[in-house]
Amino acid sequence: METGRADFIIIEDNKVDCFIAEKTIQNSGKGNSCIIFSQAALALDYIEKHESDGQVIIFVDIQMPRMNGFEFVESFERLPLSNRHLYRIYTLTSSINERDRERIKMFPSVKGFLNKPLTVDIINQVVQVNSP
Amino acid sequence: MDKLKSDIEVLFIDDEPNNLISFKACFRFDYTIYLAVNAEEAEKHLREHPSISVIFCDQRMPGKTGVAFFEEIRDRYPDPIRVLVTGYADIESVIAAINKGQVFRYIKKPWIEADIALTIQEAQKFYLTAALLKKKNQALEKAYHELDQFAYSATHDMRGPILSVLGVIELLKTIPVSAETGEMIGMIEKAMLKLDGYIKSLHEHYSIRRGELHFTEINALDLIGDVGALYDPVASLKQVSFIKKHSGPETFRSDLPSLKIVLANLLSNAFKYQREQASDKRVELEISVGSHEAVIRVSDNGIGIPENDLPDIFEIFFRATTAEYGSGFGLYNVRDILNKLGGTIEVSSKENQGSVFTVRIPLMFFHRGRSRGSGIVQSDRLRGR
Repeated sequence: METGRADFIIIEDNKVDCFIAEKTIQNSGKGNSCIIFSQAALALDYIEKHESDGQVIIFVDIQMPRMNGFEFVESFERLPLSNRHLYRIYTLTSSINERDRERIKMFPSVKGFLNKPLTVDIINQVVQVNSP
Repeated sequence: MDKLKSDIEVLFIDDEPNNLISFKACFRFDYTIYLAVNAEEAEKHLREHPSISVIFCDQRMPGKTGVAFFEEIRDRYPDPIRVLVTGYADIESVIAAINKGQVFRYIKKPWIEADIALTIQEAQKFYLTAALLKKKNQALEKAYHELDQFAYSATHDMRGPILSVLGVIELLKTIPVSAETGEMIGMIEKAMLKLDGYIKSLHEHYSIRRGELHFTEINALDLIGDVGALYDPVASLKQVSFIKKHSGPETFRSDLPSLKIVLANLLSNAFKYQREQASDKRVELEISVGSHEAVIRVSDNGIGIPENDLPDIFEIFFRATTAEYGSGFGLYNVRDILNKLGGTIEVSSKENQGSVFTVRIPLMFFHRGRSRGSGIVQSDRLRGR
């Protein structure tokens, strides 16, 4: 596994933001792959069935219909994953609510609370953090 | 007298059936009358006829006094007006009952028709006013709540698309375009950032209004670190030296989101209102934790505030300058928060020399009512208490 690169999973219901995320990851050159889900439940399903053996960075929006970001993280933490440590979740949101921020900190699998828009700088930071 | 039967509903409670009969005989053409010989019957009427607006109750009944009965039903049926009827000179208990707000009036036994009629009219007036007030209050409460909800969710919903635009602009910057296009993209970005700034302060405004305070242990150094992460890039971009100082204990108890809003507003102002040409631009943040209060001082050597504007800078929508973009919300929000925390803010400023904002937050939190005033102290003193 090449260092300084990761597989990305984007969970976002807004199409423009999906486009921005995909393109930004592409521009950063840090992505081995990038899969987009418009619904959190589909992402959970995918993660459960395709357990990774390399670093995975998950960007999840907090405000989404049906399953929101909090619910996603809750369900993710209940998944029976043997390589759980390879997954890093970052919430990516337009929320400026401090309470959201405090609440998401409670989840051990959430490594950061990022504000939109996603930029190459952000990608570089989260991938650097992940590099061995 | 108007002989048309009014829609007033009256409950009369007395353990002597004769009294009940004579009451009904007198008033059955004027009002809808319900009769009860004891508390149980009376409660049954109140349950079944929620529009009863006046209750007369005899003070001396077997097992229970009228005052005791009123006290008992007051919580469950707060709206009907309570009138005590007493044939004894137990004036003490009547006074006590009136003073405690348990009864509206009392009628002496044997009662005369005119007294009762007058009392019913008065009680009904009181009942209607109270009911109207209650209804208006509920409507107001609801409107407030809805407005808060709306503003709160609107700020969220409005930011989404703005951030999408900013994201796309970020991508556009990686694609080579002509200088003119680049310039125009820059204009779009600037306008979007302004709009976003405005929405953010709107959001702050409403989160303060809704806000419950959660006091937690706050580490001053962490706070300075967080603030640094946010403003160091701004400082280097604007070529301002950003000095951060701390003294006293590292930790203190306060509401972190509130403090962050205060700091964000004071610092963003300090960075924003710099003198363009100055070569020694400086912003200083100093947090001193004492035994009774935490003092946060934000100073700059920027454009300063004209003396005659100083009293107004904490007013909503007030803007002292058009030189930079502002929402007119920022310092108003700061003052609002400090009111909640029981703190104060002082400002001293000289035009073209800079401003010093000094925030004091008591560490033992005592709730202070809003009636205490703005919590603002204007002062020319730079330091000192």
